[in-house]
Amino acid sequence: MVTETVMSNPDGMKALGAAIAVGLTGFSSAYAEREIATAAIGAMAENEGLFGKGLIFVVIPETIVIFGLVVALMML
Amino acid sequence: MLKAKQMTRAVIVGHKDFFEDTVDALHRTNLFQIEDFIEDEESDLKIGKPFESGKEASKKLVKIRSIASLLGVKDTAAKKQATEAVCSQLDGCLDTLDDDLAAFIEKKSALEAQLKEIGTEKREILPFINIDIDLDLYRGYDSLAVFAGHVKDDIGPAISQITSAYEIFHDQQHGTMVLFVAKERSEEVNEVLSRFSFKELKIPEASGVPSLLLADIEKNEADVIKKIESIDSDIENLKAKYAELILASNEMLSVEVQKSDAPLRVATTKSSFLIDGWLPSESYDKLVNVVNNATNGHVLISTQEIRKEDENDVPVEYDNSKIVSPLQAIMDLYGRPKYKEIDPSSLIFITFPLLYGMILGDLGYGLILLSIAVVIKKLVYSDAIKRLMDVLIYCQIATLFFGLIYGEFLGFPLAGHHGTPGLIPGFEEIPLFVSPFAGEVVAYPIHRVDLVMTFMALTILVGIIHINFGFLVGFINEKMNHGFTEAMLCKGSWFIIELGIVLVVLGYLGMLPIAVGAALFIIGVLMLFKGEGVKGPLELPSLLSNPLSYTRIIAVALSHMAIASTINVIAFTMIWEFGSPIGVMTIFAILLFVFGHAFNTILSIIAPGLHSLRLQYVEFFGKFYEGGGRIYDPFGYIRKYTEEK
Repeated sequence: MVTETVMSNPDGMKALGAAIAVGLTGFSSAYAEREIATAAIGAMAENEGLFGKGLIFVVIPETIVIFGLVVALMML
Repeated sequence: MLKAKQMTRAVIVGHKDFFEDTVDALHRTNLFQIEDFIEDEESDLKIGKPFESGKEASKKLVKIRSIASLLGVKDTAAKKQATEAVCSQLDGCLDTLDDDLAAFIEKKSALEAQLKEIGTEKREILPFINIDIDLDLYRGYDSLAVFAGHVKDDIGPAISQITSAYEIFHDQQHGTMVLFVAKERSEEVNEVLSRFSFKELKIPEASGVPSLLLADIEKNEADVIKKIESIDSDIENLKAKYAELILASNEMLSVEVQKSDAPLRVATTKSSFLIDGWLPSESYDKLVNVVNNATNGHVLISTQEIRKEDENDVPVEYDNSKIVSPLQAIMDLYGRPKYKEIDPSSLIFITFPLLYGMILGDLGYGLILLSIAVVIKKLVYSDAIKRLMDVLIYCQIATLFFGLIYGEFLGFPLAGHHGTPGLIPGFEEIPLFVSPFAGEVVAYPIHRVDLVMTFMALTILVGIIHINFGFLVGFINEKMNHGFTEAMLCKGSWFIIELGIVLVVLGYLGMLPIAVGAALFIIGVLMLFKGEGVKGPLELPSLLSNPLSYTRIIAVALSHMAIASTINVIAFTMIWEFGSPIGVMTIFAILLFVFGHAFNTILSIIAPGLHSLRLQYVEFFGKFYEGGGRIYDPFGYIRKYTEEK
């Protein structure tokens, strides 16, 4: 019943699309950040002065989820 | 303001008779950064030897530092003391203090060892506590074997099958069993016991009834603990009495050792010395004066030209006003500017708090964080934390400004909105105009949730301005260091590319031929290729991704607002509603409100702070900033606890 409503109602499809956009990009950002943050923390353990640079590298993939959010907001 | 302080390379040459006076003067001014001398086998110049005066000081310093660590003396605010007074006081009491402390520590560790022994004894006796037999009766038999330990079940019936000549004591509480049996049967009994998974216990050496013994041991233990406590309080008294002296003498001796070790960084010959180093140009005359006064003009100071290839070695000291200086902490986190580079501290002084405020923009959180920052700044002693608090205060000022524009207080709207009343009774939002994006109506106060599309466009615009500002700074940087042509190719080309894109869009709208824009775009790309190589055109997609990245301003803001308003809804609609009778639920609602917003307050430092920081570091600095300059670290000491007369 619920599925039918979602499939027949364009708003439902939009909402699903938006959810997928945010969900998948969120996951990808997190996955990319995980890899980078591990390396960055390792580097920081050796040299604390790398905090600034490490932070930058870690937050670079953050943009992916922002793109996802932009797409989602435009869809809705 | 936008440049690092101008530095001068100076060389100080003189006879060794004046070496110590010169070093003393340099240390006092705290201006001259000594360039470490690297010895060369073939050269006649050798690394100097430490001054004799330092030997005694370094011995004392070792002693004082060990005392400080044993006493646990921490850096605190204290009144400055005159070095002479510290010196004479220290000579009088260092040895006695050291001996007293050593005696206390020795006594304490002996008592601690004793306490450990008592603990072991206690543990051994505890299993026997409910068996009322003198411990002497456990040993010294010719014909009896004694088994003491833990067994799982009652072993009486099993033993009685072997022999009737036995006696058993069993303590149910501790699971301890003591069995006396004739010696000749001991082997068979052993076998039975192993079937019952018998674990042998050591019979305590002491003599007497266990319960009485335990009482004695416990009394003894309490005595020892009391003694340790009394020694601890003695040590605490020592600390209270000598803490200020220890801090002051640690500082004074550190200074002396630092001075006496200076020759290790300096070139010397048999009878002369040569100190090479850097200082801010503005302080050159002051240094010359001080050194000349200290040595009666017997030492020669001269400046040296800074060669192009030495520019990376020039130490960099910020030259910012007092208001901007807290942002230097943010700069140092990334890397200090190079000597010939624009120092962007004063630029991020504006942009960092501005973007932070745009994201947070809530009067309630702004006021809470502002008061927290002011209180911490008053309470803490560390300069680094004070500077960070200053940055936080700047950010909160921007937050309050945007809070007024957005009209929000802890997630509650100040003005009435769509029929729901706001926090201020009678204050209704005033519609201003219809935004060109998605037909959203802009009103005062600006309600962000209703203006998502407009805000997305606006934040992208903020991004484009910010990024182009970055290109402009990059252009100036390049022009200063490599001339106009290089600046035009590396940074100016970006403006041409952007103009090309704008013209292509206008062409697409039919306002002028597309070819004009396309040609400009291609010219820009070719210039960029010439300036930066392949790396340049590869960066082209960032023209799209960077401005889009600024939409995080509204994205993070929305999530932050959502948390705040969810807390409000749960507390004051779902748990307890205004106007309904006050009861237990009211307390719950208030608790949730307080804890929820406390949590969100912490988030409001982290999320907007980190995202605003990222926009500075990645999007803005990426356009012009290199960093990695050498930090100016003059030879000297900033005294906190002592002063020289």
